[in-house]
Amino acid sequence: MVFVIIHDTIQALGLKYIFKNYFNISITHVHPSLMHTIIDNESSIYITTPHLLHENNDFFQSKKNQTVIITQAPTTDPMSINLHHEECDIIQQISSILESIGTTSQKPSDRLSQREIEVLKLIAMGYINKEIAHKLSISFNTVLTHRKNISSKLGIKSVSGLGIYAVMNGYISEPNLKR
Amino acid sequence: MAIISAKNSLCSVISSNPDIIPLINRFGITLGVKDKTIERICNDNALDIEFFISILNTYINEDFFPEKILKSFRAETIVNYISQTYNYYIHYMLPNIERHFNLLIAHSGDNNNLGLMFQFFKELKNDILQNINHDIHQWFPLIISASLNETAPNLKFIAPSNSSIIEDKINDLKNMFIIHLTGKYDLNLCYAVISSIISFEKDIRQNNRIRNRILYLIYKNTINK
Repeated sequence: MVFVIIHDTIQALGLKYIFKNYFNISITHVHPSLMHTIIDNESSIYITTPHLLHENNDFFQSKKNQTVIITQAPTTDPMSINLHHEECDIIQQISSILESIGTTSQKPSDRLSQREIEVLKLIAMGYINKEIAHKLSISFNTVLTHRKNISSKLGIKSVSGLGIYAVMNGYISEPNLKR
Repeated sequence: MAIISAKNSLCSVISSNPDIIPLINRFGITLGVKDKTIERICNDNALDIEFFISILNTYINEDFFPEKILKSFRAETIVNYISQTYNYYIHYMLPNIERHFNLLIAHSGDNNNLGLMFQFFKELKNDILQNINHDIHQWFPLIISASLNETAPNLKFIAPSNSSIIEDKINDLKNMFIIHLTGKYDLNLCYAVISSIISFEKDIRQNNRIRNRILYLIYKNTINK
C-alpha cells in the first residue's frame, strides 16, 4: 500500500495519476487529520511533506525507510520527490525510490514448493483446511499460509480452479477431482 | 478518460470507448446514433438522462464511482438496469464465450487442457446463472416490495448471493489461459475466447459495484426503516 499523507488534494491526485499510469500502483490519499486510521504494514510506503514529517515525528519515526518526502526545493535525498521538476524527472525519481524499496523487484519464485504441491493436491481432492492440517500434521494457520501462497503464485483462488490446475499439471487424476 | 456529460455526442463517446456498445444496447439504444447528443438520444428513447450518464461514467472510468448520485435513484430504476444486464449475460455474453470456446476446442486437436478449462467455464456459468436466478426471483422482488413501503412480516431479510466468488472464478479462468495454457491451440480462436472473458470480467465487476455498493445499501436502509 502507498499512502499519500498531505493536505493538498490536487497534489495527491497528481501522484495518484502517476503511480497508477506509470507503475500500476494504486495509492490512497489520507488527510493528515486521519493519519491515525492507517493500519501499519512493513511493506507500506508513506509520502508526505517535510512539514508534516516534522509535526508527526512519532508516527514516522519507525517508518524512516518507507517514507518519501515531497519537496519544492532542490534536494539530493534519494527518498524525495521534487515537485518542481519536469514530469519525466519526477517519474524517474519515483521509479528509483520504488526500486530502492524493492516494490518493483521480481518475486523470488513462482514455482510451488513440495509442501505447497501436497496442500494443492488435498485441496483439489476436496479436503477442507482442518482436514489438510490433520493429514499433513501442520497447524491450521500454516495451511492458510500455504493456500495464500499457492493462490498468489498461480493466480488462481477458487477451489475448483485449483483442482483444474492440479489435473492440468498431473498432480492428481481427473477422477480424484472434487465435484 | 474524460467524464461524459449530456451535451457530448454519443457517437464520439462510442468511438473512444467501443466497449460501451453492449451497455447502450441494454438501454434499448442501437448503433446508427448519428451525431445526436446523449441528451437528445435519452429524450428520444424516454430514458432518465442522469441515470444513463452515471452508468456510462461508472462503466468507462473504473476509478469514478458517483455513489451519492447513484444512491439518489429509485431502487426500481437500478433493478431494471441490472435485470437488463443479466439478460445480456444470459442471452449474449455467456453463449458468446461458450460458442468461441467450443470452436477453440474443435480446432485445437487433442489439447486436453482446453477440455478441463471448458469444464471450469461450465461450472462458472452455472454459478452465474444461479446467482442471477436468486437475484431475479428472490432478491429483486423483495427490494421492489420494500421500496413500495410494503410492511413486514413479508419483508424478511434475504442476503444477495455472493458475487465475489464469481469474480474470483472469472479471474481464475482468465489466468488459466494467460499463465497456464499449454499444448497446441488455434491462436485466433483463443484470442476470441480470452477477449470475451476479459470483457465479461470488466462488465461483471462494474455491475457488481452498482449491485453491491448501491442497490444493497438502498435495500438495507429500506429494510431497517
